[in-house]
Amino acid sequence: MAATYGQTVHRVRGRAFPAGQSRSHPAELRLDGSAAAVVLDDGSTLAGCDRTALKVEPRLGATPRRLVLPDGTLFETEDHDAVDAAFGRSGWSVVHAAERFHPRLVLVVAAVVAAAWALWRFGLDLIAAAAVAMTPAPAVDAIDIGTLQTIDLSIAEPSTLDAEARASSEAIFARLLGSLDPEVRAAHDFRLEFRDLPGLGPNAVALPGGTVILTDELVTLFPDPDVQAGVLAHEIGHIVEQHGLHQLYRSLGIAVLVALLAGDTVPLIEDIVLEGNVLLSLTFSRRSEAEADTFGVDLAQRAGYDPAGLIRFFDYIEDTFGDAPSWLSSHPASGERSEAIRRQIGQ
Amino acid sequence: MDYENRPGRPVDFEFRGQTGEWFGIWMTNLLLSIVTIGIYSAWAKVRTKKYFYQNTYVAGRNFDYHATGLQILIGRIIVFVGIVVLSLVSAIPVVGLLILIGLLLLVPWLLVRALRFNAAMSSWANVRFGFDGKPMGAFLTFLLYPFLTLFTLYAAFPFADRARRRYVMNNHRLGAAPFGFDAPIGGFYMAFLAAMGWVVLLAILTLAPMVGTLLSNMGDPAAFERDPQMAIRLMVGIYAFIFLGLLPAGVIYNAFIRNTVFNGTTLDGRHRFHSDVRPMALIWIAVTNALAVVLTLGLMLPWAQIRLARYYAAHSRLIPGGSLDEFVGTLPARTSALGDAYADIEGIDIGLPV
Repeated sequence: MAATYGQTVHRVRGRAFPAGQSRSHPAELRLDGSAAAVVLDDGSTLAGCDRTALKVEPRLGATPRRLVLPDGTLFETEDHDAVDAAFGRSGWSVVHAAERFHPRLVLVVAAVVAAAWALWRFGLDLIAAAAVAMTPAPAVDAIDIGTLQTIDLSIAEPSTLDAEARASSEAIFARLLGSLDPEVRAAHDFRLEFRDLPGLGPNAVALPGGTVILTDELVTLFPDPDVQAGVLAHEIGHIVEQHGLHQLYRSLGIAVLVALLAGDTVPLIEDIVLEGNVLLSLTFSRRSEAEADTFGVDLAQRAGYDPAGLIRFFDYIEDTFGDAPSWLSSHPASGERSEAIRRQIGQ
Repeated sequence: MDYENRPGRPVDFEFRGQTGEWFGIWMTNLLLSIVTIGIYSAWAKVRTKKYFYQNTYVAGRNFDYHATGLQILIGRIIVFVGIVVLSLVSAIPVVGLLILIGLLLLVPWLLVRALRFNAAMSSWANVRFGFDGKPMGAFLTFLLYPFLTLFTLYAAFPFADRARRRYVMNNHRLGAAPFGFDAPIGGFYMAFLAAMGWVVLLAILTLAPMVGTLLSNMGDPAAFERDPQMAIRLMVGIYAFIFLGLLPAGVIYNAFIRNTVFNGTTLDGRHRFHSDVRPMALIWIAVTNALAVVLTLGLMLPWAQIRLARYYAAHSRLIPGGSLDEFVGTLPARTSALGDAYADIEGIDIGLPV
């Protein structure tokens, strides 16, 4: 056992491993003034150094304390009190105190739960917003180009619309853009693209850089300019409020956080966390859709279109396709969306 | 010494970590990581590795992990900046393709760096591990062979996997003492077939009820929209298949392979290893662990980790072929944290199967 002789002399019992060797020897660490020495039981000194050159590893649970000499000799001891008495406390002592299984740990748990909740609820959005703001415009445009190419290679066919139908949609798009705040309009590279997307039905897609893709089916089913204006204004809303980029960073942020914070988990857990995250991120997606609806209705109205056009679109979607349960869906139910728009335009 | 010169008498691996103790360390790691916006997570990683290494004993001597938090942090920053720059630049179509080819050449080099870093930062008793593999071997066994098995419809996958394990194990050493691994291909095919059998069995149990509904609605794409309940049933079936079929199949495969690798590995040509983990026991542990963790919103994760580490240790043995006191280290090789951070973020599991 350790004994303390005065202020400067300490003896700590333990075992020593010579530099780079697997053989251990019962030994004593002697600290006398500024000198440190590892002394074996036969009285011989295995290694020595200046006391300040000793590397004292931080305490970690109940594992043996490790002290490493400059030549690589390892001294190991269970006598933590003696080591603490000889070397005093460090920043790691505070960490170790927090880590101990003690009623105080409840505070740490509560702080973690609160911090994790705040991080998920507010922190992620803040981080994503900062990342969106820091993303250079050419990079966002590059996403549009790349995505459009991928769509063209995989699911899209060239549009079969005639020139007249295209020109009419282009005119609606231009009129909507004209009603945007000039500063907002200049911040994005707005473009309208026509594609035949057989799997997507009457639909429109917004890419983060400002590209809006309109499906042939939407243009042929809804020649009504009010409907097209409502849909296009909704997509412009996604672009102006940067939902796509925001969501991209959000899901990236969650993946990195899970990897960094949870570290090496056990089998199955990581998959469950990531799947659960998909369901949770749908909440964010539904919120974005509602925001884009509000923005779109307002924009269509300012551009002189009947905002009820979007309601006719949703009514058609609901009648034709019905709705999946909303917690499983990236979009709010069409009926709810029509209701919200009716409330917005006071109809 | 207790363990000196008793050739042939097996020495058990021991795991001495305690759930309560680890829970406190894990919680503090989380708290400090969050309040330092992720910076402490590098030190948290070191403390985590140290806790599990230092609590694992063979012949009364424990393992240790020697990387510092700063090393890990620097590596992570380099990788983070690299990934951001790459993903922005690679959105440009032609450049993206060039970068992809460049990465393909870079990956074997990074893998070797990661293996070397992890080995050099790990020790048992006072002897560091080492890894001497070359990038060419990593390219062949991690990229080319697995890709080629595609053309055999994965029937040759066990051969590719054995080549990879050989490359990893045969290039590891403890101090100057080399590890060696070889095993007949039978063990690898057994693991492969057992995992496949499980997948097929669970596919029949979870997916078959839906096949009838799907077939009767073929050519009627609106069927789903008329009956949303059908879509839900389909999703539940698919999730059941993933969580009960695919993921446990991975557990089964790893259990068989772990036994094969341990039982075919030698150290210094004299010492042998033995592992007898049981696939069904591991599935039971994985499923009950997952349930416990999910139902307690993550609070039981430390318990689950300790439980798994204990099981692995209890089913691992070293069979000494001579004294365990004679391992001697070599001069530490220069390594950087870059490879390690890459492996860490990408989640590539290339550690020793301990």
